[in-house]
Amino acid sequence: MSTTTLDTPTVSDAVANPSTAVLSATGTGLSMRGVLRSEWVKLRSVRSTTATLAAAGGALLVFGLLFAAILGGVLSAGDGDPASEFASDPTGAALSGTMLAQLIIGVLGVMIITSEYTTGQIRTTLTAVPTRVPVLVAKAAVLTAVVLPVMLASVLVTFLGGQALIGSGDLATASLGDPGVLRAVIGSAAYLTGVALMGLAVGTLLRSTAASIATLFGALFLLPGLAGIVLPSGWGDTLLSYLPSNAGTAFTSVVPAPGLLSSGVAMAVFAAWAVVPLVVAAIVQKRRSA
Amino acid sequence: MITVQNLVKMYGEKAAVDDLSFEIPPGTVTGFLGPNGAGKSTTMRMLVGLESPTSGSAMVNGRSYVEHKAPMREIGVLLDAGAIHPGRSARNHLLSLAYTHTLPARRVEEMLDLVGLTDVAAERAGGFSLGMRQRLGIASALLGDPATVMLDEPVNGLDPEGIRWIRALLRGLAAEGRTVFVSSHLMSEMALTAEQLIIVGRGRLVADISVEDLVARSATSVRVRSPQASSLRPLLAGDGITVSTDLDGTLDVIGLSPEAIGTRAATAGITLYELAVQQASLEEAFMELTHDDVEYHGSSEIHPRTATLSPERKAA
Repeated sequence: MSTTTLDTPTVSDAVANPSTAVLSATGTGLSMRGVLRSEWVKLRSVRSTTATLAAAGGALLVFGLLFAAILGGVLSAGDGDPASEFASDPTGAALSGTMLAQLIIGVLGVMIITSEYTTGQIRTTLTAVPTRVPVLVAKAAVLTAVVLPVMLASVLVTFLGGQALIGSGDLATASLGDPGVLRAVIGSAAYLTGVALMGLAVGTLLRSTAASIATLFGALFLLPGLAGIVLPSGWGDTLLSYLPSNAGTAFTSVVPAPGLLSSGVAMAVFAAWAVVPLVVAAIVQKRRSA
Repeated sequence: MITVQNLVKMYGEKAAVDDLSFEIPPGTVTGFLGPNGAGKSTTMRMLVGLESPTSGSAMVNGRSYVEHKAPMREIGVLLDAGAIHPGRSARNHLLSLAYTHTLPARRVEEMLDLVGLTDVAAERAGGFSLGMRQRLGIASALLGDPATVMLDEPVNGLDPEGIRWIRALLRGLAAEGRTVFVSSHLMSEMALTAEQLIIVGRGRLVADISVEDLVARSATSVRVRSPQASSLRPLLAGDGITVSTDLDGTLDVIGLSPEAIGTRAATAGITLYELAVQQASLEEAFMELTHDDVEYHGSSEIHPRTATLSPERKAA
């Protein structure tokens, strides 16, 4: 093997080296599988991935168990008893951390692409994969492959732990076999994954971390409130139910609030909120200069 | 093989690259030379598909870069050593690039070894010095074992040690028969490594010339020092002759031999302290060629000589 010192490059050695020559003949060129592997390496090789996943899982667990403990009388709530609204919805109580978790997981989705734009890494990435679309497809795929199982595990543990805490009081508990419960549990993990994908799409479109996070959270949290004020009641309410957060609520709750879409339609609407922006992002990214 | 044909890139009303055509044959080191803002980086970015041309074409080995099945194996590029995620280690950075082209992890270790980064491969690239980033960039450019290597201002901001390393590397790559296309705004740097020069200014081709020819073409002047310079000056005037006065009073004469100048001075009884032929440096030859194409001129007061000489020289 070539021994390299700092001021004497040994390109000739390395190239003349038989092992290099063999290597240069291998490799089949760009492939979707290769790009997937590449994006997987990128995702696992920055600290923020593990940190945000742990934070999102932690938020689910801490909030869910806290509400459940209050409901079950293990902990006493302060003034106002914030858990009372969940008294008839043990599933919702255990999944109450979803609200905070989506903030964290949304940031993860945004950051896996905006970190490339803000550091300049994107130019290296798009030079290696000049067809560009495979990069976004691979990012969406590895993001889903990581977020969905981790969130599913966190939601399940929180649900089961939460029901155990609630059960220690007088209130009724939910089990995965009850109507709508399994849908709400899996749906919550799917919802969080969808928020991450929306973050990826917005991040690809806007390229700036701050602008993307503001836009994503605006769409998730502010839009329903704003639209409720601006739009007339009647068709305005119908429109509201199609917003991503409301569609999400419709299929992640066992006892949905009135005026929401049916869970089947809500899932399709929410999926469209995740997929359509990604398609738009892929087209825009393909066309603009990097 | 790089082929650029009638390449145009407009930014609004302004042409960054203006009808540029040139060809880089295989197996040469070609310098891409021009003042800052001449369109060198834009041209290189179009060659690898980071930007699309307004019109014309920029091809690598007969095809546009995007159309290649394994683009990293056709041409290896280092456009910006800073284009890395600072939180990722050098090894993972290279792995992520190698995997896109289904290159094995072993190739990454070889490249780390080649550029001397093996010891710090596990460290976050954000902590790297510019020189180390430049090495990492070279490693990624060579990952695909490409026959053509394209580097944008590789010595910019490097310490002498790093510059020496890059020079040796470029010569090594050329010795292996690779095509090397390297941009710089410094003629002196190119003179050390390049055989052929593509000189651009304001997005246009100024010259496509070998270093040898440029040296031959560069004008020679005669330096004349005399206590009676002001009396001598009118005697030297004539068609095709340029005389300029330096700040210290010495004359620079183009178009007359030292013999002719000496004779005229002697006839008029003028004392000469110095009479010497000056070979213009490559740097000066380059300055002349691109003088009219420099995007932003500094004040020329300090260098009246260059300013007065250029138009005549360019016309000649």
